[in-house]
Amino acid sequence: MASCPLSLLSAGTTGKITGVHAGEGLRRRLYALGLIPEATVTVVTRDRGSIIVSVCGCRYALSRGMAMKVIIAPEVAAR
Amino acid sequence: MKKTISVALTGNPNVGKTTVFNTITGSRQHVGNWPGVTVEKKTGRCEYADTSIEVTDLPGTYSLTAYSADEVIARNFIIEDNPDVVVQVVDASNLERNLYLTMQLAELGRPVIVALNMVDVAEGRGDTIDEKRLSELLAMPVVRTVGTSGRGLDRLLETIIAVAAKGEKHTHTIGYGDEAEALISDLVRILDDDPALAGGYPLRWLAVRAIEGDSAVLALIEKSSVAGAVQARLQQIDLDEYEALLADKRYEAIGAILPQACTMCVRKMTGSDMIDRVVTNKYLGIPIFLALMWGAFQLTFAVAEPFMAGIEYVFGWLGEVVAGSIGNEWLASLLGDGVIGGVGGVFVFVPNIFILFLILSILEGSGYLARAAFIMDRLMYVIGLPGKSFIPMLMGFGCNVPAIMSTRTIEDDRDRLITILVNPFISCGARLPVYILFAGVFFGRDAGNVIFGLYALGIVVAILSAKLFRCTILPGESSPFIMEMPPYRIPTIKNAMLNMWEKGSMYLKKAGGIILIGSLIVWFLASYPAGVEYGSEESFAGMIGHLLEPLVSPLGLDWKIAVALIFGFVAKEIVVSSLGVLYGADEGSAALSDALLADPALSMAGALAVMVFVLLYMPCVATLGVIKKETGSWRWAGFSVLYGLVVAWILAFATFHLASYFLGGA
Repeated sequence: MASCPLSLLSAGTTGKITGVHAGEGLRRRLYALGLIPEATVTVVTRDRGSIIVSVCGCRYALSRGMAMKVIIAPEVAAR
Repeated sequence: MKKTISVALTGNPNVGKTTVFNTITGSRQHVGNWPGVTVEKKTGRCEYADTSIEVTDLPGTYSLTAYSADEVIARNFIIEDNPDVVVQVVDASNLERNLYLTMQLAELGRPVIVALNMVDVAEGRGDTIDEKRLSELLAMPVVRTVGTSGRGLDRLLETIIAVAAKGEKHTHTIGYGDEAEALISDLVRILDDDPALAGGYPLRWLAVRAIEGDSAVLALIEKSSVAGAVQARLQQIDLDEYEALLADKRYEAIGAILPQACTMCVRKMTGSDMIDRVVTNKYLGIPIFLALMWGAFQLTFAVAEPFMAGIEYVFGWLGEVVAGSIGNEWLASLLGDGVIGGVGGVFVFVPNIFILFLILSILEGSGYLARAAFIMDRLMYVIGLPGKSFIPMLMGFGCNVPAIMSTRTIEDDRDRLITILVNPFISCGARLPVYILFAGVFFGRDAGNVIFGLYALGIVVAILSAKLFRCTILPGESSPFIMEMPPYRIPTIKNAMLNMWEKGSMYLKKAGGIILIGSLIVWFLASYPAGVEYGSEESFAGMIGHLLEPLVSPLGLDWKIAVALIFGFVAKEIVVSSLGVLYGADEGSAALSDALLADPALSMAGALAVMVFVLLYMPCVATLGVIKKETGSWRWAGFSVLYGLVVAWILAFATFHLASYFLGGA
């Protein structure tokens, strides 16, 4: 499956981050939280684009604007 | 003489850092502000084995970039204040993310101790962590702790003392690969030429931060004598690429360390995820939230009831003792009417406010409050604010002062300003006495519904005002946010109580100071000029009231209410005690109720108008002070007063006339 913004994934999907399209301040913030390219994320809940993701053992809530900036390649075998 | 060691306590948010701090220092804490910014600075002291340990609790941060004020404060403290030891509290159940900060701390050159906190959680999940191996790999002492039970904290203190005694700098840092390392050593060589930089900063750290485009560090270099040389070297490379590379290398280093020191450390779907699926569910989230809030308010009033009755009884008894035992009539009036009547009327509500804060503390400690912010994000988005703005609103039901202070977690300045400006419309505990009095007297069985309606009106006005500000004076979109959802935990009683006390004591201070002074002023204005009957139209209070009567008469109110409203600016509860004074009713609300009901100038519609006006009209003195402090200018504080008055007048006017029409008029 092709890459798409994180905000479009449905709950339960797992995927790998392929890119973070944000300004440098924000990107550094996302990196510090573990949202770096190649990291595996799982969508816990999704509510109209705002989502809660689980990445390396932590859960973060991302608003839709933020979740649009994280590009992800979903795994085909979604749990 | 005793030795003194200074310790900086650092770590990610939600790793139990505050619990460790509280357990180590107990009640010997001092809460202040970091210079120049409105971020809380907590210091505490602890005596252990003939050594005095000064602990500074740094703001919780994920990294040491200059992303937020918190991060700048944390790293400036470590660099400039040179603590003897830096202790990083680490969530053992979440090592990977936590070690990112460790990697950055290592570069600051101070000795670092890793406190492996919450090992009980990690081990309960089946992880086993080899702290000896971890310590070797990081080249830092690693101590296991469980902050909630205090396990391992003695070992931590012993290690702090041992490390401080050695007084060695930390030198082991991760390598960033040949290319980046060549760049770093070039920069270090250049930076070394400026004695001011070389003397005050760890140069390797400066170089790394400069490569990562850290604005604060670049500004520092800009001012130094080597600015040109650094610029020239940095221009030879593609900075964006390097920045991602450095972050990557840190995770790579962590990725290399973890499997050697930890058996599992990779998480599957846990209980927290299961709970999250339910409580943040698209359809269930809001109903669950509302049910919890309804329960919280019910519990607040049910539990507070006996305490309130107790306090009322004590003040009633005090009033009698004073009236009976003091011969001097002037003094008896000052103490009885002024001090006991005024402060007592307000103290009755302390239990309510404390219990509400206790429940909020428990919700916060359990991790649910962060979910509430996520759930409300959808609603908040509509009015142009991030979900985070919701938590201060919730706290506003207790007291607006700590609520406004809690807006500090909102990163975007405009979001934060709007959240502050609408907060006074959230009906705080201090307004409740006014509602109870008027709704109880005029609406009897319907009082509960009337009060509920007022709370709802406050929320609606807050929401509409936020929308209005967003569309006019503070345009913009709600900034994208990312917020950690801490794992669900069972909150400890100790922390919940400490948290409650911190917030509740702000209210107590207000009750003790401002309200006492306010009550005395009311008493003075009602008793003078000499010889007038207490609280009569000829007193100063009466004169002021008559002066303002034309302003409030369109709302169906007379001079007495006008006076009470003015005093209510000091603190809204004072509206009740000043009415007590003005209607000449002694302590005991029954007398005041009868007097209000007997007053021909007051109707049901008028009572509604009073309540609406009190709900909205302006922040109290304490809230105003905190608005000024948090926004940094009197301009916004003044704006909030004016805006509040206008909104309150219009809505009270509308309420009075609508209610007169439907309820049959005065």
